[in-house]
Amino acid sequence: MSDPLLVVDQLTMHFPVRKGLLRRVVGAVRAVDNVSFSIARGQTLGLVGESGCGKTTVGRSILRLLPPTAGSVHFDGLDVLAQSPRALRAMRRRMQIVFQDPYGSLNPRLSVRSILEEGLIVHRMGDAAERLHRMTTALDRTGMQAGCLDRYPHEFSGGQRQRIAIARALVLEPDFLVLDEPISALDVSIQAQVVNLLVTLREDLGLTYLFISHDLSVIEYVSDHVAVMYLGRIVEQSPAERLYAEPLHPYTLALFSAVPSIDPARRRGRIVLPGDVPSPSRPPSGCRFHPRCPLAETICRDIDPPGVTVDGHLVHCHVAARELDRAGGNASSAALRMAELVAKTLDKSASEDSLASPSH
Amino acid sequence: MPLLEIKNLVTAFHTPAGRVPAVDGVSLSINRGTTLGLVGESGCGKSVTALSILRLVSAPGVIESGEILLENGGSTQNLVTLGERELCRVRGGRIGMIFQEPMTSLNPVFTLGDQIAEAVHLHEKVSRAEARLRSLEMLKLVRMADPEQRLHEYPHQLSGGMRQRVMIAMALVCRPDLVIADEPTTALDVTIQAQILDLLSAVRKRLSTAILLITHDLGVVAETCDEVAVMYAGKIVERAPTAELFSRPLHPYTIGLIAARPTPGASRSVPLRTIPGMVPLPNNFPSGCRFHPRCAYAQFPRCQTEPAELREVTPGHFVRCHFAGELDVPQNH
Repeated sequence: MSDPLLVVDQLTMHFPVRKGLLRRVVGAVRAVDNVSFSIARGQTLGLVGESGCGKTTVGRSILRLLPPTAGSVHFDGLDVLAQSPRALRAMRRRMQIVFQDPYGSLNPRLSVRSILEEGLIVHRMGDAAERLHRMTTALDRTGMQAGCLDRYPHEFSGGQRQRIAIARALVLEPDFLVLDEPISALDVSIQAQVVNLLVTLREDLGLTYLFISHDLSVIEYVSDHVAVMYLGRIVEQSPAERLYAEPLHPYTLALFSAVPSIDPARRRGRIVLPGDVPSPSRPPSGCRFHPRCPLAETICRDIDPPGVTVDGHLVHCHVAARELDRAGGNASSAALRMAELVAKTLDKSASEDSLASPSH
Repeated sequence: MPLLEIKNLVTAFHTPAGRVPAVDGVSLSINRGTTLGLVGESGCGKSVTALSILRLVSAPGVIESGEILLENGGSTQNLVTLGERELCRVRGGRIGMIFQEPMTSLNPVFTLGDQIAEAVHLHEKVSRAEARLRSLEMLKLVRMADPEQRLHEYPHQLSGGMRQRVMIAMALVCRPDLVIADEPTTALDVTIQAQILDLLSAVRKRLSTAILLITHDLGVVAETCDEVAVMYAGKIVERAPTAELFSRPLHPYTIGLIAARPTPGASRSVPLRTIPGMVPLPNNFPSGCRFHPRCAYAQFPRCQTEPAELREVTPGHFVRCHFAGELDVPQNH
């Protein structure tokens, strides 16, 4: 990737677990562990994973809303973590965030005008007339009318509130947006409207996105690159089309197969993973996915799989690495082989799978 | 005879701001051992429909009219007029319920064993040992790991997926004929959702329980249901067997919902098809056909003034649209 706007290197975020009267640190929740990626200017990186995998924490530590434990974040060549408070404020004008819940992220006691103007005042952008112009432009871009400036959040529906939240990010004319599950709280018929809006804004304003979601279909639609997270780690990362056409990691395969589809042709071979996502305070040894992985071997329990990259397609998996090696670095045939291997274990478990039978 | 038949159900909330008809003339029927999906967005009345079946709608909500007929050994009981005492026998007995939030639907101060056994004691005269045995069997049926140990554990010791399994075990322990599952997987992650859906369909096959599955997720419906009813603004707008509905949706709302999801491999240069406008709130449903303000095919003034009736457009496929079957709609399958 040429000219990255954001470079995240070995980002780690551990939350201390305290216990007892003296609040002694007895352990750590390893929410994010050694996460690295970069996003080129004008591109979108989709970050997918299930709840508790650390995707939201990644978004927040990039903006230094949560100070990371280790690692570095460079934005447009500048070290975000090393900035003085004053410099950080200037930088934050250029990096904005849109939160998941438009019911919680807008202050109910402030009018839309106050919500939008706050950032402009903090950053000393323009006089009153100039600010009004910026606000009406931002609202217009998000499909809202200037008339809503003097109304309050409760007067709007979820979709409209999310548009206001996006307008709040846009008034500052940022270069980069962290979109943290921006459509998950919205109704299905409204989601498409907001997705289209975000795509249009990106094209019109040349924005760069980190798009965090658990919705695989939406991530595929909006992203240039996709990173899949599991238990604080990125397990697979690649250009979007490649990841969706040739997933290599067994977790990615399972995740794709678990999405209920209205298309009967895509419904065969569901991989139902056993068990729950383990707690990030006590991650499993070796590969963190091994207790639920259909292909786990002895090595997976003991050794954390290093990343293997083939043509920009990164995967952390011992089995996938071996298959890539066998296929002479041909990701397509390795992906085919991984799917076969998983399918084989499925057939086996399907024949064994019978419900525990109650006696009456 | 269908297991459950709802006829013209009207449930309204009498608020200081006026009467809010959340469910406005809903008719549905479910046969034994089948799964009916009830799909719709927030505020369409799908959950109120479910709560009305067990008369769990709380004040200021009132079931104003309609019948809810539960088949009962050749005759039928009307749940709307049934006495409170008999109704308690139906609740958790013949009809089980699974709620959306597994985090809040379990009592935090009782063990799982106690909570499941309570349902048994309420409906059957059994000894404690027998009730415990039944609870254990149910935990095995829902594939809990270490079921014996789980009986003595509390809800906070379980993950969301595990709690939902316990909810399912509780709903099934009295062998109900019908289970109402209100968004049973919405609060769960997609890999856990796959486990639960898998479990529900296996349990249904085994116990031949009918399921009313309420959800906003068309994918979930497509994968689990025999028949689908789509709700919009308090009314059923389309009803058809699942395969028929997804291959040939006829109501503009259903068509829009299906098209609004990105399809695999779709190019970003083609915008997603959207349904314009907002989901209407029950206190302000539009006149005429309630979908007309958002409908791309609306014809004026007919759609604005004349309410559309649910009619059978092709055998078994009911649509509430003046122009159903005549629209020239792009099909995406």
